[in-house]
Amino acid sequence: MSSDSDYDDDVMNEFDDTMDEDSIMDDSDDYENSLDDSGDELEYYEDGEDLNFDGVMAEKHRKKLYQVDYTVQSSKHLMGSQDKEVGQVASILGMPKEHAATLLRHYRWNKEKLIERYMDNPEKVLRLAGVVTDKVRRIIPAREISTPQHPFSCDICCDDEEELETVAVSCNHRFCRTCYEHYLRQKIREEGESRKIECPQDGCKIVVDEKTVEEVVDKNTHLRYRELLNRTFVDDNDHLRWCPAPNCEFAVECHIPSTSLTTIVPTVECECSHQFCFGCGLPDHQPAICPLVKKWQKKCEDDSETANWISAHTKECPKCHSTIEKNGGCNHMTCRKCKYEFCWVCMGPWSEHGTSWYNCNRYDEKSSHEARDSQTQSRASLERYLHYYNRFANHQQSAKLDQDLYRKTEKKMEEMQQTSDLSWIEVQFLKKAVDTLTQCRMTLKWTYAFAFYLSRTNETVIFEDNQKDLEMATEHLSELLEKPLEREKIAELRQNVLDKTVYVKQRREILLEDTAKGLLEGRWTFFVDLK
Amino acid sequence: MSNMKRVQKEILAIEQDKEAHIEVILPEDGSMNHMTAKISGPVNTPYEGGLFTVDVSVPPEYPFLPPKMKFVSRVYHPNISSQTGAICLDILKDKWTPVLTLKSALISLQSLLSTPEPDDPQDAQVAAHYKRDKEDFEQTAKYWTEVYANPNAEVLPDGVKPEALARLVDMGFGRSNAINALAEFKGDEQAAVESLL
Ligand SMILES: [Zn+2]
Ligand SMILES: [Zn+2]
Ligand SMILES: [Zn+2]
Ligand SMILES: [Zn+2]
Repeated sequence: MSSDSDYDDDVMNEFDDTMDEDSIMDDSDDYENSLDDSGDELEYYEDGEDLNFDGVMAEKHRKKLYQVDYTVQSSKHLMGSQDKEVGQVASILGMPKEHAATLLRHYRWNKEKLIERYMDNPEKVLRLAGVVTDKVRRIIPAREISTPQHPFSCDICCDDEEELETVAVSCNHRFCRTCYEHYLRQKIREEGESRKIECPQDGCKIVVDEKTVEEVVDKNTHLRYRELLNRTFVDDNDHLRWCPAPNCEFAVECHIPSTSLTTIVPTVECECSHQFCFGCGLPDHQPAICPLVKKWQKKCEDDSETANWISAHTKECPKCHSTIEKNGGCNHMTCRKCKYEFCWVCMGPWSEHGTSWYNCNRYDEKSSHEARDSQTQSRASLERYLHYYNRFANHQQSAKLDQDLYRKTEKKMEEMQQTSDLSWIEVQFLKKAVDTLTQCRMTLKWTYAFAFYLSRTNETVIFEDNQKDLEMATEHLSELLEKPLEREKIAELRQNVLDKTVYVKQRREILLEDTAKGLLEGRWTFFVDLK
Repeated sequence: MSNMKRVQKEILAIEQDKEAHIEVILPEDGSMNHMTAKISGPVNTPYEGGLFTVDVSVPPEYPFLPPKMKFVSRVYHPNISSQTGAICLDILKDKWTPVLTLKSALISLQSLLSTPEPDDPQDAQVAAHYKRDKEDFEQTAKYWTEVYANPNAEVLPDGVKPEALARLVDMGFGRSNAINALAEFKGDEQAAVESLL
């Protein structure tokens, strides 16, 4: 779901009647109707120009620069998509569907490449993909019954009874049906094979086609076979990726090529609501691009000993030195003992943060100079890293603590319904606010990895200001949500939370829009090789 | 699904083929899922003249799953474990298909003996030896063949190891005296030598 669908996304139009009719008509076919019948609710961005497979129900709004087009596909959709592609290729090349399927799977669903190669040298393509061996395509009955005139002995079980039912694919290596079934079941159920099950004959490269499999195996094995085919369909297809959430069975289709990953972060959201990067499969890491994320994670791993020490290091109240444990996501700390208020990140007094947000987000060039004077270069570079790492890790940890906040918030929502005249739907704003908070923390976290690799130019000042604004807004919202509920002030709180949530979302959008624009324009320079 | 009919037929085929130099010995209880095979070492290899014992077990899913084979005789070969006799051979794993047979698998073992693949080793030490000094490797392999796969070897009493016996014979002691001495001292080579002197 997009970030800017506000509180009203409960009532978001599932079908916008202002959507232009063409985009529906273009892609409509029988398959889509079956989609509608099933009652599946899928949300899509934009119009359907790039979407190969499905009908489109667009949420009508201007697409943000940091958003990409994609569709979510259920396993039923995936099967429909395959059937559609297979049907198309079968009619273009004038061959049975089961052979078109074998060819497409061999060419990893790259239809253009397949057709081009096929036009060039059909025999070679058919042989390489394991469809037929002979130059001349013979018609071979897939199933036969042995007769006294045509006796048969199965090379697998040595059975030679009369009226034995036999099976063969285009190579005509014939075996009894029982053995064929056993062989296929072994391959599918035990070995998990699907798209390239070869004929049982030793050295024969002919692939047992989908039609033969369907005719020979039992229903459950066939279901498993279809499942495995679906899996390879997604794995082999550059435009598809499984949702990495545990037990989630949806896949996402997105047409961002891997070559664009240096200029765009293709964040997608699954039906299960998990947000992840289509480029690398990791949880959403806007605004940092995939290659930076990879480098950053590697660096954190390599430096984990230092980093662990830092993050595990117990913090003390800067004033009275009593040990302080962070028990919420908010960075505004108040020492229980001496009531001193300070910022968890920089340990500076909180009072300075209230008016002008401390240089908490920015690695101060001056102090870095001092560090260089007194320390060696390598020490300075470690400190520079730790500066960004601490802020990265801090948001990560805060986001984890925000999981507790969800539980607390649920209680608050119940309490609110009991003590005020607000309905269930009217107290949802609190949960939405926590959603927003968590999302902003993730974004903030990755802004520090982004900033770590960013070469400092005049342009980066805008980025740092945006980061600072988002950070401050996020902390304000966090603080507001951590506060205990005061019954008489519920209406006031509601308005306050609503306002702050809108504001935080806006700040996030501004930051992401600007970084995405900068990436597309080549405005950012990173001091690492992005290859 | 019973594979009795097929296994019976396969064994008959092995018995009828005298050219392959393969022998299968079934256990006396008449079961067909476990047997011992003997294969001759290929000519012009360090295994020539040896008769190697292979343990064969036929899983219930045979022939849809490959038979399990391992060498009982110790073999010095990069793709065979010098300790356990385990075999690294593709057709006994992923390259198996149900039209292959016990005979074709045993023939593949013979050809594995003639064409070692040190780049896909089962025994890393032996493979390293092979790559470092092939001539020296072949000497060891030949020695192992004589000691562990000698078709004319008499059945030795308990505790008498063929390699210890070979060393004593090399020192110039008579073979039967050496066997007796080793048997008397339960395989203690040092004690056997002292008693023979
Ligand atoms: Zn075939
Ligand atoms: Zn059969
Ligand atoms: Zn999902
Ligand atoms: Zn990514």
